[in-house]
Amino acid sequence: MIRDHISLDGIDRYLAETGVQSSDFVPVQPREFSGEIFAVDGSNASICNWSTANVNLIRAGYAVYQGRVWRRTVITFDDVFLADPKQCKNMFDPFLQEFFGLNGVDLNESDLDRLSSYYRELQEYVAINDALTVAQPGDIILYDGSFDVFELLRGALATIFVRAEQKSVALLAVAKSSSLFWGEEISMPFVQHTSMAGSLLLPGSAWYLSLKDKKVDASQGRWNGQTYIVRFCGQSEHAFRVDAPSFLQGEMASVLGKLAAYSCSSECLGYPHALFRAHRDIRITEEEGAAVRQRLMGELLEMGMPHSEIRTLMQDFHDILEMRSGF
Amino acid sequence: MATTQEERQPGMGESMLSRKVIVKGDTTYKIVSKSVTEYHFTVPYILPDEERVEVGQIFSIKDQGLTFLARVLNIEHSSNYDGHWDTTMKGTQIFDQDQIFNRVIAEPLGCISETGGFKKTRTLPTKFAPVARAEINEFKFLRQVMGDIEIGYLRNGSRLVKDIPVALHSEAMDHHMGVFATTGMGKSNFMKVFAASCMRLAARGESKFGLLIVDPHGEYLKGKGPVKGLVHLKKYADGLVCYSTDKNNASDPGVEELMIGLKDIEPSDVALLYDWSPAQKDALEAISRIFGRDWLSDLNRPEGISKMVSENINEKTAGVLSKRIKNVLDKNRYINDIRSSIPNILANIQDGKVVLVDIPRMSDRSELFLLSVLSRCILDAYKEEARPARKNCLITIEEAQRVLGSESNTVRFETIAREGRKFGVGLCAITQQPKLLDKQLLSQFNTLVVMGLGDRNDRSQLEESAKQDLSSMDVEIQTLEKGEAVISTLNIPFPIPAKIHRYERYLEKLQEEDRSEDKLINKVGFRPVVD
Repeated sequence: MIRDHISLDGIDRYLAETGVQSSDFVPVQPREFSGEIFAVDGSNASICNWSTANVNLIRAGYAVYQGRVWRRTVITFDDVFLADPKQCKNMFDPFLQEFFGLNGVDLNESDLDRLSSYYRELQEYVAINDALTVAQPGDIILYDGSFDVFELLRGALATIFVRAEQKSVALLAVAKSSSLFWGEEISMPFVQHTSMAGSLLLPGSAWYLSLKDKKVDASQGRWNGQTYIVRFCGQSEHAFRVDAPSFLQGEMASVLGKLAAYSCSSECLGYPHALFRAHRDIRITEEEGAAVRQRLMGELLEMGMPHSEIRTLMQDFHDILEMRSGF
Repeated sequence: MATTQEERQPGMGESMLSRKVIVKGDTTYKIVSKSVTEYHFTVPYILPDEERVEVGQIFSIKDQGLTFLARVLNIEHSSNYDGHWDTTMKGTQIFDQDQIFNRVIAEPLGCISETGGFKKTRTLPTKFAPVARAEINEFKFLRQVMGDIEIGYLRNGSRLVKDIPVALHSEAMDHHMGVFATTGMGKSNFMKVFAASCMRLAARGESKFGLLIVDPHGEYLKGKGPVKGLVHLKKYADGLVCYSTDKNNASDPGVEELMIGLKDIEPSDVALLYDWSPAQKDALEAISRIFGRDWLSDLNRPEGISKMVSENINEKTAGVLSKRIKNVLDKNRYINDIRSSIPNILANIQDGKVVLVDIPRMSDRSELFLLSVLSRCILDAYKEEARPARKNCLITIEEAQRVLGSESNTVRFETIAREGRKFGVGLCAITQQPKLLDKQLLSQFNTLVVMGLGDRNDRSQLEESAKQDLSSMDVEIQTLEKGEAVISTLNIPFPIPAKIHRYERYLEKLQEEDRSEDKLINKVGFRPVVD
């Protein structure tokens, strides 16, 4: 049964049920360019969880490459976030207003985990916005994720699209994982099967496939853009979902050609290398999370809370089950 | 990597962003770990040949007022990527060269204070402290701890540090010295350089010990072909006295024919020439009592054997003894009742000169016999009350495992190794198989000159016996090239990597030094006379 859900026996059925045609796979010619590639990413680590509020460490920023050369990594946000539906409006609104001219969003109905995710995304958009302010026309900004975002933050994204277009900066979202599926009876993984079909149709080549008018729900109507499946490197087996604003539709072959030239690193073959570096530079490691937790406990102790009380409040019972130290 | 504040025009939301910009900085040549006993630092994974890091190289770590010195023990591939990335990477199109590096594992040697003093360290450099190849300035302190017998230059990896000559201390020589190397690694060259430096000191009246070299291979006196001998160091010929059993060599100016008087030989000297039965040993011990000091002459007379028999020695035993001793005298024609070189040899050694006894083509046992006679005479003489200005003595033993081995029966050299220091007599043991030396005896040796040793057992033996820790230098000792050495000795704070002078070059160097000294002397119009 599992095999039925994942196996692609030839591509005929795939082509028939998705509406994809062999000619939809467009080869990409890698082309070096002298502009800069910005790769935006974010990271979120849980510090402690209560039923009423969570504390997370959130980090966002971007790495900048010129060709194969890493130029810099900019961290635009690196702080703890208290996810409390009653309080966190005060943390969202100033950023939404300052950077995107939005009047705030209603977060009262959001659960605590989702609040942290929203806040991380908001900080990622702030990072995209920051990259846009320094990017030159012709540069490329990559975002680790999708543009099919939570409704509450779509306004911020719309502003970013407008600014990118005004500045002639290419903006793409590259998703490492995707929930896209195909199949009339059984749901099958779309990106992986598209990758296999691409290997058969254009072996050893980079390519892209537009999902416009295909029988795959990529929520394209909900945001102002188009979704593609892209193989960035002919030597790699991996393909990725790539979202692009509508203003880029006529330039995709050129933009993807530039990215393909820099997606063949030994470190992470087949993935835009700038995104690889951004992921590594911006991620919050377990050790960092543990250090922040210790610092928080220390500050609470200094504020007069007894150690036993802090331990009771902050310890996750999973830590006891897993025999993790730290408290 | 380095963190900076990015310069940009004030704009939207600037006040809300605590922007941190990480730019490329120096990610290598930094201390990254690990402890007081082991430092790890990073170096680029691709380096030009001339900048490659090598085992044995010494690096310096400047950290506030201190300069730490550390010797490279090993080098490993490493990167900031987790797991076995090296084995999974596809292709070699590495984008982030700064994330890949070599991790250098180094052993702390000590640290130099701001005043230039060197001491062992009980702390470690600050994390990320900068690391650089140690240069002449960091080695200057070594000049102050070096001795007076120059033997080579300091070596940093494969590179010579010509400004820092390596020199042993005369004062350490009665604490015994060992020279260890497999064949062809430069033992004889080392000994000639060592002897040349001793000659120089002796000729200048600065010698603190006399050096006895018994040379069974005929290579020290005149050398062979392009390889020069000690007689070629004419400038310091006053510091050398040569004896030879070879008539041709003895006819050369400055070389005397070796003579050993019958009375100089004691029954115990003969003991090591043969494997004796218990009865024969008893008979040997009784000989002195029976015949007195003229035992050799008396024993060889027709009535010699009957006199022994009259002293209750078995006739057959007496016959064997007499026959063997006759053989010794027949084979060693330098033994006679005309005259003896020994008084002069002793006098020259006590004057601090180099005494070379050239015995080409002599058999192994005969060589040992002669060395045994000379060593006994020297030790006896040094046991007597010292005359004023008497210099110490260093006796060289080639293939020392023959007499200092754990199964050898030559008590005489063991006695010198154990007690010689009390009387100012040291041994210089030369061997290619230190594993055969007795461990306890080896532990008496305070100066070890270790050249290439491929045999793990040889290295282990030295590591266990050395006064300084050589265990961490195992890889370096294993990879030493011809003429390279690691020297562990008193007064020098850590085992010193050295490149031994090539003897022929050293002769030239001494000649050059002389010329420059001559010039200096001529300027002030004074020329000392070296006696």
